[in-house]
Amino acid sequence: MIAQLIDGPLWYFSLTVFVLGVLWRLFMILRAGVKKDLAVPRDGSGAGALRAIFSRFVPERTVRRHGKVQLIAGYMFHLGLFALLFLARPHVDFFAERMTGFGWWSMPYWAFIVAAEIAFAGLIMLWLYRLLNPVTRLLSSADDYVGTVLVFLVMLSGCLALAQSVEALRLTHLLLVEMLLIYFPFSSLMHAFTFAFSRGYTGATMGRKGIRA
Amino acid sequence: MLINHRRGLSFFAVLFVLLIVSPAFAEDAASSNKPVTVPNPASDLWRAVNPQQLPPAVAAMFPRGDSQVQGVQSGVLINQQGQIWRYFRMKQLLPIGGYLLAGAMLAVLLFYFIRGKVLIRDGESDKKIERYSVYERMIHWFMAFIFLFLGFSGLILLFGRSLLLPWMGPELFSILASAAKEGHNLFGPLFLLALVLMFLKFVVRNIYQKGDLTWLLKGGGIIGEHDVPSNFFNMGEKTLFWLLILVGGLIAISGVVLLFPVFEQGRGIMELSHVVHAIAAVIMLTVIIGHIYIGTIGMQGAIEGMTSGYCDLNWAKDHHSWWAQRCIDEGKIVPKQQGSAVHHDNPGPGEVEK
Amino acid sequence: MSEQFELGVAELGKQIDARISSYFSSCVHCGLCAEACLFYTETGDPRYTPIYKLEPMKKLWRQEHTIRGKLAKALGLSKPLQEKDFADWEELVYDSCTLCGRCSMVCPVGNDITYMISKEREGFSRAGYAPEGLKGATQRALEIGSPMGVTLKTVLATLAHVEKDTGLSVPVDQQGADYMTLFSSMEVVNFPEYIESIARIFDAAGVSWTISSKAFEATNSGIQIGNSDNAAEIVGRVVTAAEELGVKYVISPECGHAYTSIRWAGPNLIGRPYRFKVIHILELLDQLKQEGRIRFSGKTDEPVTFHDPCQIVRRGGVVQPQRDLLNGIAENFVEMTDHGVMNWCCGGGGGVSANERADELRIKAFDRKRKQIEETGVNTVVTACANCRMMLEDGIEENEMETTVIGLTELIADYLVTDAKEQSEVR
Repeated sequence: MIAQLIDGPLWYFSLTVFVLGVLWRLFMILRAGVKKDLAVPRDGSGAGALRAIFSRFVPERTVRRHGKVQLIAGYMFHLGLFALLFLARPHVDFFAERMTGFGWWSMPYWAFIVAAEIAFAGLIMLWLYRLLNPVTRLLSSADDYVGTVLVFLVMLSGCLALAQSVEALRLTHLLLVEMLLIYFPFSSLMHAFTFAFSRGYTGATMGRKGIRA
Repeated sequence: MLINHRRGLSFFAVLFVLLIVSPAFAEDAASSNKPVTVPNPASDLWRAVNPQQLPPAVAAMFPRGDSQVQGVQSGVLINQQGQIWRYFRMKQLLPIGGYLLAGAMLAVLLFYFIRGKVLIRDGESDKKIERYSVYERMIHWFMAFIFLFLGFSGLILLFGRSLLLPWMGPELFSILASAAKEGHNLFGPLFLLALVLMFLKFVVRNIYQKGDLTWLLKGGGIIGEHDVPSNFFNMGEKTLFWLLILVGGLIAISGVVLLFPVFEQGRGIMELSHVVHAIAAVIMLTVIIGHIYIGTIGMQGAIEGMTSGYCDLNWAKDHHSWWAQRCIDEGKIVPKQQGSAVHHDNPGPGEVEK
Repeated sequence: MSEQFELGVAELGKQIDARISSYFSSCVHCGLCAEACLFYTETGDPRYTPIYKLEPMKKLWRQEHTIRGKLAKALGLSKPLQEKDFADWEELVYDSCTLCGRCSMVCPVGNDITYMISKEREGFSRAGYAPEGLKGATQRALEIGSPMGVTLKTVLATLAHVEKDTGLSVPVDQQGADYMTLFSSMEVVNFPEYIESIARIFDAAGVSWTISSKAFEATNSGIQIGNSDNAAEIVGRVVTAAEELGVKYVISPECGHAYTSIRWAGPNLIGRPYRFKVIHILELLDQLKQEGRIRFSGKTDEPVTFHDPCQIVRRGGVVQPQRDLLNGIAENFVEMTDHGVMNWCCGGGGGVSANERADELRIKAFDRKRKQIEETGVNTVVTACANCRMMLEDGIEENEMETTVIGLTELIADYLVTDAKEQSEVR
């Protein structure tokens, strides 16, 4: 009974909440609007926006020097997570079966393990940094910890269900994923989509002024 | 190649015997001393598929079995050492390891009731010293997190069948055991990473120095009443560090051997690795029980250094007086109200230790 | 809750546009902006983390722009903004932020935190939570025409001095001139050398220029305190004067925030594009140099370094001209490690220098600049902002350093080839 609920209706419900929630949040941002800039621009805003969207992947010297741990852990976590999310064999099969109808290249088993190790190491490090550094501890709210713990549990349950031999573990993983999807639009996990907006807006403004940002 | 392999195996077998002085052979001897020996009709077959038991001259006729399967020791049908390993795990590791861990926890509790919490002699002061940087604390807690995860999942794998299975029932326990196995394997390599990071960051401060032995002889100031001076780390902490690096290193290496059966390691090496892994893990868990005790309920002011990064000045004077004095001389004492001092371009607190 | 406070909160809410909404949505509280802020790096106080200075605005954004926040507010789980929030944050918003924009350059998700703080100030100032020093400066700018209380009479007196010293005439209210020049009060009062230098350079280059008696002040306290109505009025004076005189260009003086006010914020404040162009003095000088209209008599062999005023470089986009100019007159120009768009602020921008309450903190934050200057091993710092110059001199004196500060325009005037000089050289 519970298994059918998790595997069926709850999945579609959480997916709907996720998609509608994210779209709503993006709509809320765009609705707030930006006033037209009347100052004569020095350079184009489009180029500036495009530039910033990509240039911010490369950290400034200040961050390279003083944010080394976060930088390395951050990249480890994000790259590992994306590899797991989009290139793990069970995920590709899942996407193909339930959403896209077609599959794509998936990682061999050893690469999956490596990606998982990297993602876990990065996530735990970031989590500890949040707790131990006075700045991040001051800034962090419950939302940050809930997001971290949820992602951790999703990753952990996914890896524990690795062999897919135990149905209960697969369902636990799926249930946690559904909780994450529902939580997503209400949290700072939204940065996964809005970072492009933020960088774009800033890049456009800076671009008009002729500043490489 | 083959000969070498077999010699290697017998070498490990001898090691096994030395290691555990197995009474299994005594039992075998006892059974063969029965007054009337009835030959088992199948014994010839068993001898044939188990060539290692034959006298060398006969064994040469059956160097190994033939198998379609290409792999390490795929021609070996019966592994003689397997029995010894099984005996070790079931009859020695489980009870001895179990009592050791339970005993350690009991001892710690007992110590707590007899000695009580080690208090800061003059009480907490209104000043503090930076003891561990953010990065150092991160490494510590990263190690702690991984260690505890591996410890608990390992204990489930080891003791689960005897302790949890009767209580949980087979359905639930099989899920837990499967999860514990995957989790243990997954986090294993991270332990190696944590070990390397910890070694690199803390090794300099953990080299034994003059005065360390005196600290040990005087009971580290915990057993006796006297004030025993020490550096940034005292003898006890240094020994914990080296135990972690060496015993932990053994755990990590044997774990890698078990986790990646791609280096042509045969059953013998796997069994030996497991024995090493288990013994070293039980030792390390016992030690860590003590470490957790003294870091939390056992001593006032001990955990602050690892959480906030700052320790109380009086605590430092009590337990690391030479280091405390050096910090006082260098003007590194901060009032407790204030946040961290100027952090930029300052070396970590450990770097002052030479 | 007072009426004024409610007005402030309403104003704060109005400031939340798509940019700010996306910025708050993207922030993952990584704290890296702290490493870019000199108030954090020099004190180690996590409260000075740039994004933390925006907590009141974030609270309002959450309640008005997110589902969760709206829900929490409706259920009474989150309280609306209190006067206490503003009172507690006033120091963070005004004293510990120079709007230098360095945090906006390092944020991994690209948040323009400086923009957010300047918008937050709009709400704070409306609610009456702004430092007395800045309130006074804004008041004087509106009533007298200058934040330092400099009147036209004072300016004319200074100009008379300049005319006497240079032997040149300074054109005032010259209809149809190409360029209208503005000053900052600080230049009029503390550094009249700047005006002198301009007169000499323009004379040598044959630039048609004028000063307006109706608008000589370039600075804009309205921008610093965060009151766009005041800011619009102040910038409007310049626009009216320039358009009446029919000039082609308005020259922004060296002063940093004057440039961003007139060049970038101005048209948006008055709600229409100008009928003239705005050019920074450094841009103009570089242009004159490239056109060969000014030439230099040589180069100083004394090693010099350059302090980039944040508003000119990072927030204004004038990065290269000052370097071209300086290389033209200095043999040995040493860059600081972090320079150009990643320079460190002097500690007195964004209205902090007008806020006496912040003096102690500002001097502490100056340590960043001190270390930077000492690292270059150079004893002469060139800069292009009267306010930066004051702050540098203040910090240098406070730290008992052996460093001299000089304005770039002044230095150029010193090495300018004038006809008289040429003749003497020929002889």
